Amino acid sequence: MRDTWGISGPTFIGLYLAALAVMALGHAIHRKVRFRGTRGAAAGDLGPQQVAYLNGGDQLAVYAAMGGLRAAGLIGTGPQRTLVQTGPLTAGVTPLDAAVHNAAGHQVRSRDVLGDQWVRSALDQLRTGLEQRGLAVSRADLGALRLWAVPVAALLAVGVLRLIAGISTGKPVGFLVPAAFFTLVLLIAIARTRRTATAAATRAMAELRSRHSHLSPRQSPAYATYGATGAAMGVALFGAASLYSMDPAFAAEAEIQRAVAGGSGGDTSGYSCGSSSGSTSSCGSSSSCGGGSSCGGGGGCGG
Amino acid sequence: MAETYGVGIGWRPEIAGFVAGLPGLRFAEVVAESVHAHGELPPGLGDLIERGVTVVPHGVRLSLGGAEPVDPQRVRHLAEVAERVRAPLVSEHIAFVRAGGVEAGHLLPLPRSREAVDAVVANVRRTQAELAVPLALEPIAALFDWPDDELSEADFLTEILDRTGAGLLLDVANVYANARNRGTDPLELLDELPLDRVAYVHVAGGAEHDGLYHDTHSHATPQPVLDLVGELCRRHRPPALMLERDGDYPPAAELRAELDAIAHAAGYPEVTAA
Repeated sequence: MRDTWGISGPTFIGLYLAALAVMALGHAIHRKVRFRGTRGAAAGDLGPQQVAYLNGGDQLAVYAAMGGLRAAGLIGTGPQRTLVQTGPLTAGVTPLDAAVHNAAGHQVRSRDVLGDQWVRSALDQLRTGLEQRGLAVSRADLGALRLWAVPVAALLAVGVLRLIAGISTGKPVGFLVPAAFFTLVLLIAIARTRRTATAAATRAMAELRSRHSHLSPRQSPAYATYGATGAAMGVALFGAASLYSMDPAFAAEAEIQRAVAGGSGGDTSGYSCGSSSGSTSSCGSSSSCGGGSSCGGGGGCGG
Repeated sequence: MAETYGVGIGWRPEIAGFVAGLPGLRFAEVVAESVHAHGELPPGLGDLIERGVTVVPHGVRLSLGGAEPVDPQRVRHLAEVAERVRAPLVSEHIAFVRAGGVEAGHLLPLPRSREAVDAVVANVRRTQAELAVPLALEPIAALFDWPDDELSEADFLTEILDRTGAGLLLDVANVYANARNRGTDPLELLDELPLDRVAYVHVAGGAEHDGLYHDTHSHATPQPVLDLVGELCRRHRPPALMLERDGDYPPAAELRAELDAIAHAAGYPEVTAA
């Protein structure tokens, strides 16, 4: 009986597993390097919206801006879930504040704020600044990492072909099935790689979260006392749930997705998306949700 | 408390970040029942203690004025919390919060009778026996007087303090509220009280409602209360005076201004500056 493709079963599975191991290791190392960020990057001077972007992507950055504007009494909700302006913009606001306030002036529906052109460009500006400081993972880095999907997919194809050939000639394929399965797992993991904050930024945020622990919704913070910046920082560090803690009527009217972010992995306060009930839809619908490790992996979200 | 602490504030989780940001702060009070005797301290409170701020546990559930003996478990908790936060003293109210096993959920005033004095004294002594630090007693605001009052407010308090050796936690806002609602002069009460026994002072805001002044702790401290702080300090300045705010917290600038106003009235340094 001839070996399939002229290679014996044990030799093939050995080569296959070696290739799989090299790819998995290569991807892991590449990932670590690309996600490391700038060690010791100064994060102490980060504003609430920057922190919010790192913690929960575009959506949370917009929520942080909305929290600050709401605490300052500058926006409210109108009919049909729209945002409205309730006061003129003051000096010293960020471009994103101005963009969200402007969107409210057009009575944009709150869930459509992310699509507003001015808001989009303010977010791009925010992200670019963070990428340059080594705090945000750049889209180029994510793209480079996803290229690992090409060799892994090729390996999977070889494995599947061998499996078909082996089955059709009645050869044993007991080792190949799990090997192909692990290749598929690796491929999915690569394809789903999403990340907003670099490792450096994640460390910095853990420090910020402990420094601002008084803003955790668990403390029922007196947002009026902490002011607009405190309110925005609360949303940035502890997620959209802070908006519900601060102004439940506004948050509900504005259809704030409670599950957006809420502290990344390793957060000792344990305050994650889990507080919301049955909100899997609100979590999955937004691309921003994949940013925080507490959310993207699936475990921490929508509990 | 031989040491002077100046102006302090009631620590609450809602304003923990504000309290942490007061550079000159040396005195704070925490609701004793909100602190675990053995578990983790509330976030932020530990940092305050590490910073050298004196934190005094303030009990609200002991029911010293109850006819039945104080619950030994509650007393033990108060003692353990005092140790936990390294407090130089603790405080409780001269009031009852339960009777016959029914919880009132409120601090209720006692009739000022000799019998009530005896009951309070017995409970205070039971509490003191378990405490490693001195106890200060706070009379509460009362919107009414019991019909069978035998003693004046000052005599009632002085007798309890004399027989127990406890300190006085004087609530200036209460003195003001009681006098105003009874149509008496708050200064008269100040003059009758043993001011040298004052361990520290509560200052708080209130509001008038249906002709009665309520000591709400959720409004700004009104000028007459600040004036009373000034009168008190002219007679005998207590080692610490603290702002008691329990809700409807205003912007930080307003809280800071209130703390400064108390400092000015008492002649103590501002705690909002380093």
